[in-house]
Amino acid sequence: MKKKVLSIFLASVLSASILAGCAGGGSAAAPAAGGSDATETTKEEAASADTAEASTGKQTDGKNLPELTTEDMTILLWDIATEEPGRPTQEAAVARFMKDYPNIHVEQIHQQNDNYKQQLVVAMSSGQCPDMYVSWGGGPMAEYYKSGFADDITDLYNTYDHPDFIDAAIAQGSYKDKILGIPFGSLSGCDIFYNKTIFKENGLEVPTTLDELEDVCAKLKEAGITPFALANAPKWTGSMYYMYLVARHSGNDEFDAAYTQEGSFGSEAFLFASDKIQDWVKKGYFPDGVNSLSPDDGQDKQLLYDGSCAMMLHGSWMAGSMSSDNAEWYQENIGVFRFPEDSEAKAKGVPQDVEIGTAIGNCFNFNSKGDQAKLEAMYVLATQYYNDDTYNQMQMDSFQTPSIKGFEEQVTDPNMKVITDVFFNASNVQLWYDQYLPASVTEVHKNSMSALFGLEKDGAEIGADQDAAMKAELAEE
Amino acid sequence: MAEKKKNNSSLEKVRGKRVAVAATVFLFPALFLIAVYFIYPVIDTFVISGYKWNGISSDRTFIGLQNWVTLIHDKNFWDAFGHNVVIMVFSILLQIPIGMLLATFLDAGGRKYNIFKVIWFLPYLMSSVAIAFLFTYALATNGGIFSSLASLIQGKKVTIDLLGRSPHALFAVIGVMAWQYTPFYMVYFIAGYGNIDTTIYEAAIIDGATRGQYVRHIAIPLLGPIFKTACTMSLIGSLKYFDLIWNMTQGGPVNSTELMATYMYKLSFQQFNMGYGSAVAAGMFILITFIALLFQKIFVVKEDY
Repeated sequence: MKKKVLSIFLASVLSASILAGCAGGGSAAAPAAGGSDATETTKEEAASADTAEASTGKQTDGKNLPELTTEDMTILLWDIATEEPGRPTQEAAVARFMKDYPNIHVEQIHQQNDNYKQQLVVAMSSGQCPDMYVSWGGGPMAEYYKSGFADDITDLYNTYDHPDFIDAAIAQGSYKDKILGIPFGSLSGCDIFYNKTIFKENGLEVPTTLDELEDVCAKLKEAGITPFALANAPKWTGSMYYMYLVARHSGNDEFDAAYTQEGSFGSEAFLFASDKIQDWVKKGYFPDGVNSLSPDDGQDKQLLYDGSCAMMLHGSWMAGSMSSDNAEWYQENIGVFRFPEDSEAKAKGVPQDVEIGTAIGNCFNFNSKGDQAKLEAMYVLATQYYNDDTYNQMQMDSFQTPSIKGFEEQVTDPNMKVITDVFFNASNVQLWYDQYLPASVTEVHKNSMSALFGLEKDGAEIGADQDAAMKAELAEE
Repeated sequence: MAEKKKNNSSLEKVRGKRVAVAATVFLFPALFLIAVYFIYPVIDTFVISGYKWNGISSDRTFIGLQNWVTLIHDKNFWDAFGHNVVIMVFSILLQIPIGMLLATFLDAGGRKYNIFKVIWFLPYLMSSVAIAFLFTYALATNGGIFSSLASLIQGKKVTIDLLGRSPHALFAVIGVMAWQYTPFYMVYFIAGYGNIDTTIYEAAIIDGATRGQYVRHIAIPLLGPIFKTACTMSLIGSLKYFDLIWNMTQGGPVNSTELMATYMYKLSFQQFNMGYGSAVAAGMFILITFIALLFQKIFVVKEDY
C-alpha cells in the first residue's frame, strides 16, 4: 500500500516536472533523448494549447516509435539499483512509463549487485528469466545471447527513435554486429586522481609521460608518501594499471592479438606492463599488503584521505563517491589527470589516447520469448523513459555522464570535465579486461593480477597462464 | 472366548493399520523434503556432470565421462582438495583439543564459571558472513587490529599482511575457523561430561584420585565416543567448507585458499561451466563420503561401558 501511494506521488511530481520542462523550453539537459527539434515544438504547442490536456499526453507523443499494445501486460524487470542515487532515478523512469501506459505494469525488482549475476544464471536455467534485465555487455552478455535469453534488437533500433548514443556505447551493447543492449548507465573512464595539496607541498607537476610519473613517484617516496593508493583484493583494481601500461605501450594491437591468440599475453607490451608494475611494487610505490586491501570498504580512498598516498588510478565513479564522502575536502584537494604517455612507444607511432573504461556502465537486455508487443514496449521504456531528459538530469546531478552525444558539454565538476574530455577524445575505448574477456579467462586474469602485485609470478608466467586459458576457451568455441 | 479373541485380533489389525497410516502421514513431509532437497539434487548433480552445459542454455550436450576425465587431471581441483585436507587436519588438531580443554575447565569450575560458558559460546552464534567481515577488518593491513598493535609496540607504522599473501592467508583462515567452531565442540564436550555418572567421579575421589587423574584415566576414556563423533563432524565440515572463505578471500590470493566448494561455485556460477561445476560437486560428494567412511572404519571406538 505504502509503495502504491509513493508511486502515485512520484508519478504526479514527475508529470509536473515534465510539464515544467516543456514550458521552460531548453531545460538543463539539452540533448533531448532522441527527440528532434520538431518534437520539442509539438510538445510545447501541446503544453501551451491546453495544459490540463497535456498532463494526460504521453512524453513520447510525436516520436517515431512503435504503437504499443492497449491490452494489459506485465514486464518483469531486474536491475541492481538497490541504493541511492540509482534507485530513485530508475524508479522514477518506470513510474513515468507506467503513467503514460497505464495498461502496462512494470514489476521492477532490485537485486543485490554482489549476487546479481549468479541470480540471473539461476533464473535463466530454471525458466524464470526476467523480461528485461541489466547486464554489463561483454562476455556474459554474449553467453546470454547464445543461450537465447537476449533478443537481437538491431531492427527496432534502426527503425525507431532512440537517444543519440555514442558509438562506443552501442558497440559495447552489441555482439557480432547485433545490437542486444540499450545503454542506460553512464560512461566510466579511468584516470589518476591525485592530491593537489601534496603535489604543491612537494613542488610536483602533473606528469604527462611515464618517465615523469616515475619521477613523481620517486620524489613522493622520498617524502615518505606512498605514491599509489591501490586496494587489490578484488584484482580488477590492479588490472587498471596493467591494462593502461599495455595500452600505452601498444595501443589496442597486442591485446586484440592476444584475444584471438594470434598474438600472446606474453608479448612485449604485456611484459613491459608486468615488469613496470613489479618494479613499482619493489620500490614501494604501492601500499603494503596491497592484495588484502579492499575498495569495497573504501580502503584505497582512506589512504588518499589520510595523506599516506598521493595518487589513485580508478574509475571515474570515484569522483562522485569521494565528493559524497566530503564535498569540501574533495573540491579543495582532489585533481585528476589522464594516464601518462609512453614517449618511447609514441615515437614509434603507437596511439597514446586509448582509454580504459566502459562506455555504458549498464545496459538493458531483453528476453521477450518472441512476444513482439512486449519487446516493443520494453524498447520504448528503455529508450524513452530511461535516457529521457528527467532521467539524464538526475544522472548528471549524481556525477554520472550519460553515454549520449552532447552531454560532455554539460559537465560542471572540474574533475569530471577532465575525465569526460579524455573519454570523448579517446581514439578507442578498451573495455575492462575482466568484463571483456570470456568468464573463464577473466578468472585467470584476475588471479594473475594478485600474483603480479604479490610478486609471486612474473610477466612471462602470467602471460602463459592467460594464454592457456584463452586457448582453452577458443577451442571450446 | 473365541469370539473375544477374534475381536482382539481385529482390534490389533485396526490399530496396526492406524499406526501405519499415522506413521506415513507424519513421515511424509520429512521424506518428501529429503527427497526434493537432498536426494534429487544429488542425483541430478551426477546427471548434469555428464553434460557440457553453460547453466542457462536450453540445449546441453551429453559428453559422457569427459568432465570426469578433466576432473581427475585438474590441478586446480586437487590443489583445492589439498587445502581442504590442510584445513581438516588443523581443524581437528585445534578445535577439538581446545574445545575439550575449555569444557574440562568449565566442568571443574561448576556454576561459578557460567559467565565464561556464555562468553565463549558467542562466536558460534554469529553467522559466518558476519565473522568473515569482522575478521577482514581485524586482519586488514590498514587499521586492522594486528597491524595497529604491531605499530604500537614497535613505535612506527608496521603492516602485517595476513590475508594478502600465501600461505599466510590459509593459516589466517584456519585460525578464524577455529575461533568460530571451538565453542561448538566445547558445548559438545560439556554435554559429554554431563553424561558421565557423578557416582563414578565420587568413587574416584573416594579412592584417592586427584582431579587430574580423574580426567586422564576416567573422563577422557569415557569421552571416547564423543571424540570420534566430534572428529567426524569436524572432518566433514572442513571438507565441504564454503561461506567463511568465500566472504573473506574468495579463494585468493592466487587460489591459495581455494577450496573444493569455492572452486565449484566459481565454475558453475561465474564461468558458465555448470556441467564441469557439477562434476566437481559430485567429486566432492564422493571424496567426502569416502574419507568419512574410512575414518569411521579406522577409528571404531568400542562402546564398552
